[in-house]
Amino acid sequence: MRIRSLAYNIKQGLKNIYRNRMFSLASIATISACLFLFGVFYAIVTNFQYMVQKAESSVCVTVFFDEGMTDQQIQDIGKNIEGRVEVSNIQFTSSDEAWNNFKTEYFGQYADLAAGFKDDNPLANSASYAVYLNDASMQTTLVTYLENMDGIRQVNKSDITASSLSSVAVLVGYASVVIIVILLAVSIFLITNTIVIGVTVRKEEISIMKLIGATDMFVDAPFIVEGLTIGILGSLFPLILLHYLYSNLVGFVLNKFSLLNNILAFLPSEKVFATLIPISIGLGIGIGCIGSYLALRKHVNV
Amino acid sequence: MIIVENISKTYSSGAPALNGVDLRVEKGEFVFVVGNSGSGKSTLIKLLLKELEPTTGKIYVNKKFLNKITRKRLPMVRRDIGVVFQDFRLLTDRNVFENIAFAQKVVEAPARQIRGQVLAMLSMVGLLDKYKSFPNELSGGEQQRVAIARALVNNPSILLCDEPTGNLDPVNSWEIMKILDEANKRGTTVLVVTHNMEIVQAMKKRTITMSGGKIISDVEKGGYFYED
Repeated sequence: MRIRSLAYNIKQGLKNIYRNRMFSLASIATISACLFLFGVFYAIVTNFQYMVQKAESSVCVTVFFDEGMTDQQIQDIGKNIEGRVEVSNIQFTSSDEAWNNFKTEYFGQYADLAAGFKDDNPLANSASYAVYLNDASMQTTLVTYLENMDGIRQVNKSDITASSLSSVAVLVGYASVVIIVILLAVSIFLITNTIVIGVTVRKEEISIMKLIGATDMFVDAPFIVEGLTIGILGSLFPLILLHYLYSNLVGFVLNKFSLLNNILAFLPSEKVFATLIPISIGLGIGIGCIGSYLALRKHVNV
Repeated sequence: MIIVENISKTYSSGAPALNGVDLRVEKGEFVFVVGNSGSGKSTLIKLLLKELEPTTGKIYVNKKFLNKITRKRLPMVRRDIGVVFQDFRLLTDRNVFENIAFAQKVVEAPARQIRGQVLAMLSMVGLLDKYKSFPNELSGGEQQRVAIARALVNNPSILLCDEPTGNLDPVNSWEIMKILDEANKRGTTVLVVTHNMEIVQAMKKRTITMSGGKIISDVEKGGYFYED
């Protein structure tokens, strides 16, 4: 198609939107609602995954050794553990460090109370490795392995965090995908109907165009423009609204519920929207294209 | 220019519209096709425009074998055929100039050419002073003149007219026929389906009479053929 025809067809496409403005508005509103919900789910899922990731990175298995183990034996065990695929990194805490940590944590400014233990470390056999995992779901495998290892007296694990966080993240992900797919299908159905109405209104014009010798592309182009424009507009409105709401809501939650700051870790809006903007606009364009295609395939038999 | 070989057309309802029609129209001819309602005249026009497919037989238009023309190549074939309908089929939301220019835009003619061509057509059909009028502001005869201008603006070699005077009074009908005759004199092959006995008798052009889906008479410089 030539450039001048492209300009003509863009104009005709925009005219179509204006002519059927009520239906166009309904389509834009529906796509906006769908993509708004998509954005909400996307923001929830990505933030949830971020929180899970942060929580998982703190999930660790603590390993205590049999009494009388030499430093060399402990180091060998450490190397062995580090070599496992489940393991991200390990941190060694000696008996003295464990006692010092305990003193700081429990006695605080009353450190004098612990003076009686000056030459007798009550945690003499409490040297340990804190083993951090690559993936919290691998914890059980690692713990089984460690419990069967020679020289290891006790293995402490954090069951609840690891398994529950992983399964909740998967559940939220699946539920979001199902809801979003349904919403997208509704959007495509509505945009198809809007374009079909446009085609019906212009049936006489299309019929004349065909008899005069218009190409398929020339006949279809205004409707494709119409679908794309509705799709793009339908994606822009929710993005603007979501950006406003997200920035304000995160700020509000962090300010009002500062106690939860350790649990709730939100992604900065730039990070969420760097992905959400192209995905939403892409979905808007996709919905527009598919809607136009379905309407034209069925109703413009050129 | 137009060669129709033994074509038949049967609609899905089972009713035969055309039955073994042979027809040859040479370049530059002016041909009337007459006959009663249901004789197959309009079906013939639709087949020549490839709006319909023949059940059997072959159709050639401008040396193109229409039966085998693909959907992609069909627009190019149609660009060389102008068409005029009984009910004008103008776009009511556009004025006279825009209605004619529409045909040029559809075939993606250069912008600088459109204005000149449209004005030339308006001059030919005598509507230069009404270029801004909308179809509902024009008389039937004027609307049909706009439709003819739209059909001719792309310089087609063939002009097909399906009952062009069907909705017009005698004075306007003659005006339309004069314009069609003028187009023919400029080299366009014209095929007019009509019921207008008076005009057919007076113009003394080749006249084909159809009845029951068949050609029952083909008279050079003749008139209306009366069935007994």
